[in-house]
This record gives sequence, structure tokens and C-alpha cells, in this order.
Amino acid sequence: MSKLESKRLDLRIFAPWAVGLGVLAVVLVRIAYLVNVEGFSVAFFVGAFLQSAQLGSLYALIALGYTMVYGIIRLINFAHGEVFMIGAFIAYFLFTRTPYSLPWAVVTALLTGLGVMYVLNLWRGRLNDPVVLAGGAGSFGLLVWLMTTVQLGWIPALIFSMLITGVVGIGLDRIAYRPLRGAPRISLLITAIAMSFFLQNFGVLAFTRNVTPFRPATSWTQAMQFQVGDGTVFMSRVIFLVVILTVVLVMILTQFVSRTRLGKAMRASAQDAEVAQMMGINVNRVIATTFLLGSMLAAAAGVLWGLTYGTLSQPAVMGVLPGIKAFAAAVIGGIGSLPGAVVGGVLLGFMENFVTALIPGTTQYKDTFAFALLVLVLLVKPSGIIGEDLSEKV
Amino acid sequence: MKDEHRIRNLALTVGGLGLLAVALLLVDQGTSTKLRQVAALFAIWGVATISLNLINGVTGILSLGHHGFMLLGGYTTALLILPNEGRARISASARSMMNDFTLGLSVENWARSLGLDALAEPEMLWVRFIVALVIGGLVAAVFGLLVVAPSLRLRGDYLAIVTFGFGEIIRLLASTDLLAPFTNGALGFSGVPSLMGRSVWWTFAILVITVFVMARLKFSSYGRALQAIREDEIAAQAMGINLAYHKALAFSLSAFFAGIAGGLYVSWLASARLDSFLFFLTFFFLVAVSVGGTGSVTGTLFGTALVVGVLQYGDPLEQSYPLGTWLAMGGVAVALGGIGTYLYRRSRHLRPSGMRVGAAVVLLGIAIATFGVLAPSYGLLDTPFRAFGLRRIGLAVLLVLIMVARPEGMFGRAEFSWAWLLRERRDQPTDTERAQDAWLSNPELREQLDDPEPAAHSLDEEGGR
Repeated sequence: MSKLESKRLDLRIFAPWAVGLGVLAVVLVRIAYLVNVEGFSVAFFVGAFLQSAQLGSLYALIALGYTMVYGIIRLINFAHGEVFMIGAFIAYFLFTRTPYSLPWAVVTALLTGLGVMYVLNLWRGRLNDPVVLAGGAGSFGLLVWLMTTVQLGWIPALIFSMLITGVVGIGLDRIAYRPLRGAPRISLLITAIAMSFFLQNFGVLAFTRNVTPFRPATSWTQAMQFQVGDGTVFMSRVIFLVVILTVVLVMILTQFVSRTRLGKAMRASAQDAEVAQMMGINVNRVIATTFLLGSMLAAAAGVLWGLTYGTLSQPAVMGVLPGIKAFAAAVIGGIGSLPGAVVGGVLLGFMENFVTALIPGTTQYKDTFAFALLVLVLLVKPSGIIGEDLSEKV
Repeated sequence: MKDEHRIRNLALTVGGLGLLAVALLLVDQGTSTKLRQVAALFAIWGVATISLNLINGVTGILSLGHHGFMLLGGYTTALLILPNEGRARISASARSMMNDFTLGLSVENWARSLGLDALAEPEMLWVRFIVALVIGGLVAAVFGLLVVAPSLRLRGDYLAIVTFGFGEIIRLLASTDLLAPFTNGALGFSGVPSLMGRSVWWTFAILVITVFVMARLKFSSYGRALQAIREDEIAAQAMGINLAYHKALAFSLSAFFAGIAGGLYVSWLASARLDSFLFFLTFFFLVAVSVGGTGSVTGTLFGTALVVGVLQYGDPLEQSYPLGTWLAMGGVAVALGGIGTYLYRRSRHLRPSGMRVGAAVVLLGIAIATFGVLAPSYGLLDTPFRAFGLRRIGLAVLLVLIMVARPEGMFGRAEFSWAWLLRERRDQPTDTERAQDAWLSNPELREQLDDPEPAAHSLDEEGGR
């Protein structure tokens, strides 16, 4: 390596930063123009910024599920948006319909107990471990008692919903994706589409056909306002909850993936599943764990979505658009990489809210941004912002 | 194709079409309006699924944006053929988003401006409809070409996502200010003439034309090139097949027929609404192609018949039944599933064949069914329950089962042919047998074996399985 080579700029590292800084400069100039020339208040943009952070966090949580599953089995899990929907509805039924009658309590406690067992299994490593079994049985008994006597608040509903949805995710993998382990990817994609359609209509069957209000008794959904300059920003306190909870969950996930043995097994399986199997890693167990974690995050996103918007749309449509947009976010950020999903999610949230704030009259095009950006990224740089090169070699 | 049988095959085809005409006559003159409508819908969706099969099955590119092409063709046709009463209604409505220019786009106006006043007469609606259909197909074909550029750069599932994105972008843009003057936004058009779309003669005529074109394409050099692209794109390129040209051909032709199907569909519905062209349409077509047989026109038609039948005649599934009945049906389904899994595993020589687990599942299913049948007489489980969306759930489950058990579909790539019907080539070896013979009779390959004799004998015993 001569000294001349080290002085050249590496375009691959330089280009994304240059593009990002350029976009930021354009945005700031436009904001300055709108504030000074057209009379928009700074408070408006602060409000838009907070909304973007909120929406970006929600997309990031869902996008993490997509990117983790794709990283290991190279499958675009179309049904993940429906998992998000299921998480929201399970939480709804947990905090509105409790206390349950005994049969419903038994069923729900069974699923939650299974979820507790799988989470304990992450720690202990085996399913027939005494701690895991005792934890499962104990939590089952405790939950049956809890669900028949108490009306649950939204926090227990969130936790139990995360566990149940994790079990749903594991079931999804076990029933639909594991039989197709060696199949061509097109078959897997078609199966994922079929499972997505199935879960949409099953949601209508199992939950409700109507728009449902999502209003637990909590002080987080209170409106608040504060002054910025000569304008007021009106927002809800739930923005803080969403952002803080997202940060906490992402940090926990990152620590799990980077520091624990199972996390290392996940990273190894993502690199090369066959060799990981040769090294003694139970790849099927790793994939189930991936689905568990992704579905838990999606359930959290579902509950936060309900808290943010106050209502849940009909089960057949609730998960479709957020799911596709989160998938677009995962691809934009770089599918297969965890920080990429977060970056993509936040970026998409900003695009949806900020671009409509900067350019008046584009609110009706809000939904097309995600698709247009997805197509653009796939054409120009399929590996995304932070991603490996996925072009096919002969 | 053997030349000595061409005339015979042609005569048989004409005879077959005659039989179809007789069947259509019976349907058309019969008493059941529903059967007529369902038959027309089958033909319309048949055109759409066959065009989807051209990309998915013959070229091997999974395309999920078919509803976008149908939307384009359907709205174009509807706009061009909408009668004057409908246009007056739209322009009088306060919420319409169309302006005078877009309201003036009609085949009737063009005919008048060209001096062909005879074409603008009400009796010549069918000629104007054909013109509108073709223009709709061409518009869709132009948009189909947009997908070609990404298809050259992206692999299977990414390309599927891009086509899905295109379909959704088209649908979303159709309601925005950009395209609302042409589509009337979320309101759409009502009062589209339904004489052609609901007539079995028209729809089946177009279906026959589509089948003819697609079959001729599939068995031509273009079709072989597309199948080569499906098998191995890089090898096809190495053999001199121009990928861009052939993919453009496939996409634009497929989009053309999808646009025509969209125009017919709009006529069948007698209205053009954005909600009729959502992704579920592509999903149903995907089920039809995958279940029937990817790459086979015959299989696709069977799959379309299955999908249309389930959707249109599946109403009994979605009535209100007491819970006991649902439990009984569920138990029967579980029992059948157990038997089916056991038979499937046995036919594939999978181990363990699941005899004990299968027997347990079957017994459990029978127990549940018996409980469900007996419970209402004891007062349990008689609350009524209505299963909304069970037809769609059933189709989704069917698709998953096909993907697990038989991904190439019921027919695979096989096509119906008169030779098959007349059992002409039964004594000739199948493709697998010929491949095995080639291997066995090739001395160079046999020398490479360490123990040639036992391996060769075991292959002989297995025969042509």
C-alpha cells in the first residue's frame, strides 16, 4: 500500500455521509425559509420533529423483527405486520375484558406460561430444565389466579401480550416456515404472503370486525403543551413513552445479541447457517428465538401504536400498511443489520412527517413515500444504508 | 409437433370449442343468473391469471403487482366507455375531481371528431368497448415496461417486493391529486356498461383468445427463451438470450392482458372503484396459479375455477352455526388432516411415516367431532357463531399446504394436449426415464463409479419412479 492510496477518499464510506449531510442542509435551509419568509412558527417544526421521532420509533420496533428473520433465513416475513396487529389486539383484550371466566383465563394463561417458558429458555438454554419448567408451571398458576380476579392495567397487558405474541411468532415459524427449510425462496415468500392473508382474516374472525378504541386508564396519554419561541407545541405525553420504551427495548436486544451465547449463536447462524450447525448450534432453536424476539418487539409496537393513536383499525387492515412501511424501513436501513433497521425506521418516520411539513400539499402522498423510497433504494443501493452487498455472483 | 396429426388436432380443437359453445349456450339461456355471473367472472379472472402465469410460471419471476395493471386497464376502459349519463352525473356532483378535459375522453367523442358518426351510435357500443379495452390494455402494457428495468438488477424476492411496490404506488397515486382528474379519486365511476362484462359469450371469447395466444407463445421460441430464463438466468444469458428484450416482452404482454381483464372486470362490476383493485386480487390470482400449476395454462384455469368457486359459492361456510357444529367441522378437518398427512408422508417415503402420531390425530379429531355433534343436545355449546372470512382463510391455508406438499401446483408445468387425451405416447419413456437411460448407457459416466454394478442394478429395479 503506497502513501498515495491511503490519501484517496473511500467513496463507499464517504458517499452516505455526504448524502446525509446534504439532505440535512437542504432541510435546514427550507425550514429557515419557511419560518422567516412564509411565517411558519418554529413550534410547528418542533411538533413535527417529535411526531417523527414517535412514528420512527414505532417503525423501528417492527423493522427489527423483519431484519432479524431475514438475516438468518433470508425470508421476508410478510406476516410480521399481522403479528404486530395480533399483539395490539391481545393487549386490548387483556386490559378490557379481564377478569376472565375460567376457560378463557386457562387458555390465555397457558399461552403466557409458554411464553415465560421460552423466555426462561433463552437464559437456561434447554426447555426441559427444572427452572424453565417450574417457571412455566408457576406462572401458569399465578396467571390463572390473576386473570380471574383482577382487571389488568396496560403495563401487565403489554408484558403478557409480548409473551403471547412471542409464542404466536414461534408457532408461525413452526407451522409455516420450518417445513419449508430447504425450499426455494420463492416458495417461502409465497407461504409468507399466504400466512399474512390467513392472519388478517383470522384476526377478523377471532377479534372483531370493527374499529376498536384503545384507551387504557393511564396518565401517559394526557395532552400537554409547551412554548417554543412565540408558538405552542401541542402533543401528548405518550411520545416520551414511545421513544423511551423503544430505546430501552433496542438496547436490551442489542446487548442480548452481542453479549450472550444465544446472541452469538444468532449472529453465527446469520453469517452461515450450515457451518453454524456443524459447530453444534441448534439452528432451529435459534430461528425460533429470533421469531420470539421479533414478535415481542412487534407486540410492544402494537401496544404503543394503540396508545399513540387511541384506536385500532379493523384487524384485516391494521397491520398491512405499517408492516409494509416497516419492511421498507428495514430495507432502506440495510436488511440483515440491526442498527440498519433502527436507522431506516427513524428515517422513514421523519420522511413521512417532516417532508409533509416542509412541502405543503404533499400530505396525500404520505403513503407513497415509503414505497417510492423502497423501490429507489432497491434500484440504486440494494444493500441499504448500512448493509452488506447482496448482488448475485455467478 | 408431429405434422401428421396437425389437421386432426385442429379438428379436435374446433370440436372442443364447439362443445364449449354448447355449454355456454346452456349457461346463458339457463335460469340461474348467478351461474352466468360466476361463469363470466371465471373467464375474466382466467384472463388475468393466465397473464400472471406468463410471468410467474413461464418466466419464473414472482410478480405481485398485478392488481396495479388491472387497475390501470380497468379505469382507462371505464373512462373511455362511460356513457354520457354517467359523465353528466359526475360533472354535476360537487365532490367530483374530474375536469372537462378528462370527462371529454371517450371513444364516442373521438369517433365523432374523426367523422365516424356511425360508430357513436348506441348499437355500436360493442365496437367502442373493444377499442376501449385495447387502449386500456396498451396503457397497462406501457406501465408493465416500467418493471423491466428493476427486473434486470434484482433477484427473486426483492423483485417481488418491487412489483408489489409498483402495484401499491399505482393504487395510492390513483387517489391523489395527480391522477384524480382521471380516476375521480376515491369516488370512482359508476354506471359502466355491464353488457359485455357480464356476458358469458364476450368474456369466454376473450378468454379463448388469451389461451390461444399464451399457448402459442409458450410453445414458440420466445416461450422457450422465457423458460430458459426461469431455469437459469445466467446460463440463458450465456446462450445468447437477450434478457432485457425477453423480460420486456413477458411483462408488457402480461400487463396488456391484465389491463384487458381489468377492463372486463370493471364492466362486470358495472363500476370502477379503487377498493376493487386491492392486493387481495393479486393474492387470489397467486393462489390460482400456485395451486393449479405454475407454468401451465391448463392448471391455471383449474386453479381459477377453484378460487372463483370457493369465493362465490362458499357462502354456506360463513353462515351462523352453533358452536357445536363448528367444533364438529373442526374435528372432521383435524381427522382428515391426520389421514392426509399420513398418506402424503407414505407417498413420499418419508420416515417416520407418522403412523402412530397420525392415528392419534385422527382419533382426536373423531373425538372432537363426536363431542361437537353430541354437545348441543346436552345444552352445551349452542351459542351461534359466525365465521367471517372463512373462505379467504381456507384459500390461504390451501396455498400454504400446496407450498409444503407440492410447490409446483396440481398440474406442475404439464399442459393439456390431444395427444395426452388420446393416450398416444404412453409407450414412450418419460423424461426421467430417458435421463436415467442416458446415464446408464453412457460408458464414460459409468466408469467413474467405484462400484458400478450394485448401483446400476438398484437403479434398474426402481424403474421410472
